[in-house]
Amino acid sequence: MKSAFWLVLSLLSSFLSAQDASEIIKKVDQKMRGNSSSSNMTMKIIRPDWSREISMKGWSLGTDFSLILITAPARDQGTAFLKRDKELWNWQPTIGRVVKLPPSMMTQSWMGSDFTNDDLVKESSIVNDYDHFIRGDTTITKRDAWKIELIPREGAPVVWGRILIYVSKADYIELLVKYYDEDDFLINTMILSDIREMGGRVIPTQMDMIPAENPEHRTVILYNDIQFDIGIDEDFFSIQKMKRIR
Amino acid sequence: MQIKLAWRNIWRNKRRTIITIVSIVFAVILSSIMRSLQLGSYERMIDNSVRFYTGYIQVHKSGYWDEQVLDNAFAPPEELRSQIESLEGVEAVVPRLESFALASYGTRTRGAMVIGIDPAKESHLTGVQNKITEGAMVTYNEPRVLMGAGLADYLNMKVGDTLVMISQGYHGVNAAGKYAVAGLVEFGLPQLTNQVVFMPLPAAQYFYGADGLLTALAVVTDTPKKVDNILEAILQDTDTTAYEVMGWKTMMPELIQGIEIDNISGIIMLLLLYLVIGFGMFGTFLMMTKERLYEFGVMLSVGMHRSRLQLLIFLEIVLLAALAVLTGFLLSLPLISYFSRNPISLPEEYRSAFEKFGIEPIYAFSSEPVVFSSQAWVVFFMALVLSAYPLYKIRKMDPVTAMREGR
Repeated sequence: MKSAFWLVLSLLSSFLSAQDASEIIKKVDQKMRGNSSSSNMTMKIIRPDWSREISMKGWSLGTDFSLILITAPARDQGTAFLKRDKELWNWQPTIGRVVKLPPSMMTQSWMGSDFTNDDLVKESSIVNDYDHFIRGDTTITKRDAWKIELIPREGAPVVWGRILIYVSKADYIELLVKYYDEDDFLINTMILSDIREMGGRVIPTQMDMIPAENPEHRTVILYNDIQFDIGIDEDFFSIQKMKRIR
Repeated sequence: MQIKLAWRNIWRNKRRTIITIVSIVFAVILSSIMRSLQLGSYERMIDNSVRFYTGYIQVHKSGYWDEQVLDNAFAPPEELRSQIESLEGVEAVVPRLESFALASYGTRTRGAMVIGIDPAKESHLTGVQNKITEGAMVTYNEPRVLMGAGLADYLNMKVGDTLVMISQGYHGVNAAGKYAVAGLVEFGLPQLTNQVVFMPLPAAQYFYGADGLLTALAVVTDTPKKVDNILEAILQDTDTTAYEVMGWKTMMPELIQGIEIDNISGIIMLLLLYLVIGFGMFGTFLMMTKERLYEFGVMLSVGMHRSRLQLLIFLEIVLLAALAVLTGFLLSLPLISYFSRNPISLPEEYRSAFEKFGIEPIYAFSSEPVVFSSQAWVVFFMALVLSAYPLYKIRKMDPVTAMREGR
């Protein structure tokens, strides 16, 4: 009788905490994405003996649509990437061609960075494709944070075995994300920093992606400015638009 | 006196002599042709892949050969280039920027090997301007390309069409470009013909975002024989921590090994051939001794020294062998030099089978002097060894029984 009570209680508590964790992740996701947004970013690819900078503009709507336009360096200017659902399209103005990136290219590096093409497409599903669990409290860069574990749901189209997200308690901001593969090896670490107000929200404006395999490699994305809820709809994210946008 | 006697003895029985000579002549011609064909195909293979592609020596950034990617490209200082060029026996130092790209035309796409070249210097190495089957050579500063005829065929392209290329460049930059096709080229190596795109160096460097960079400096030498010395000299004056200097033998071990294996089987065949030839020759010598038993018996009984008789027979054999070998040599010379200049092209139906193995569908012959001289020497030497039999026979000979048997 007593043990049954404990069982119920523990089940209930884990259910509650799971609910909690899902709520937190949902809020985190909303925070960064908003309904629609446009931004100005700089990507720095850093290697032990060289580094490279790419400037770009981005537009997004919900989790299914985004468009990225490269603005510098000059040789890549006008190159654009369009994401619609799970499909990724690439516009190369120098050859006047639109290329739909095949599944075989999804694991390849995006623009030579530590992000893969897949990261651009799949990033959406942290809310729906995972079960969420709170795994304790920590402090990261002087902020109280939840450590939340994400385990992929059965049948979810997910590449990771699990994800650890450290979320700031005060403002529901991701501070650190660790990606593990199915064998529980750390693959990537993302550090989110330089938290400040931009576009009317307090958000991390710097993202550092560090592959565990090459700790000296890193890709940094800096948000120069961002606007939320800019009133664009699905029609904006078309192949025609991708070719014309400046 | 002895020689004169030997010479006359040879021609005393013309039929026997001619049979002997013909059999040796055939032996020399047959083994020469076989060897020439074999060495010729090796020369051709080496030529196709080394002389017309990598060059005998290459200088790269150290580590490039193990990981042949653009990120291991380098910017060789001008001194290095001029220093190598000033070495004795070096004909030219040819810059190269090599990588891969997707080549596309219309709805067709295929992987291509892109080689950035300096058209003027490239003539020392691949002689690409002589391999053009259609169209014209590119010049240094124009963004046009030469492409392999096989690749053009696959993509359904003609001279003047625009080739689209997509790849990843230096440090992962985006590489994409459109290039007019200036000409089509055809090489001995089918792999090359089916996937190569030659691009002037500046265009290739821009395409890959590798400004001023090369993947290799290929060194062209006057003759292949000087390669080892030049390699040594370059190794001595360059900083081997920053650069790697490689000879073609280290760059293409598969080629060398393949040739060695084939060579061994060729040598075994040759030994079998020698064996057959040797027995043929032995037969004629045997006949010669048997036929002349009576004569030898008489000579010995009238008081000729055995050693003199032996010397006489030995001289006969030497003269005979020399005559035959020389004839064989003279006959095979025009034959092989004709074939070495006009290699046998295989008929159409065999071509595809050869090309599947990446071999040029051609039977090439070598006209290296060693081909003839070695055959001639071997056959001549064989004749000398076989002469031991008649000499031994004479030493053991009892004149009376010899005369009785020989009658």
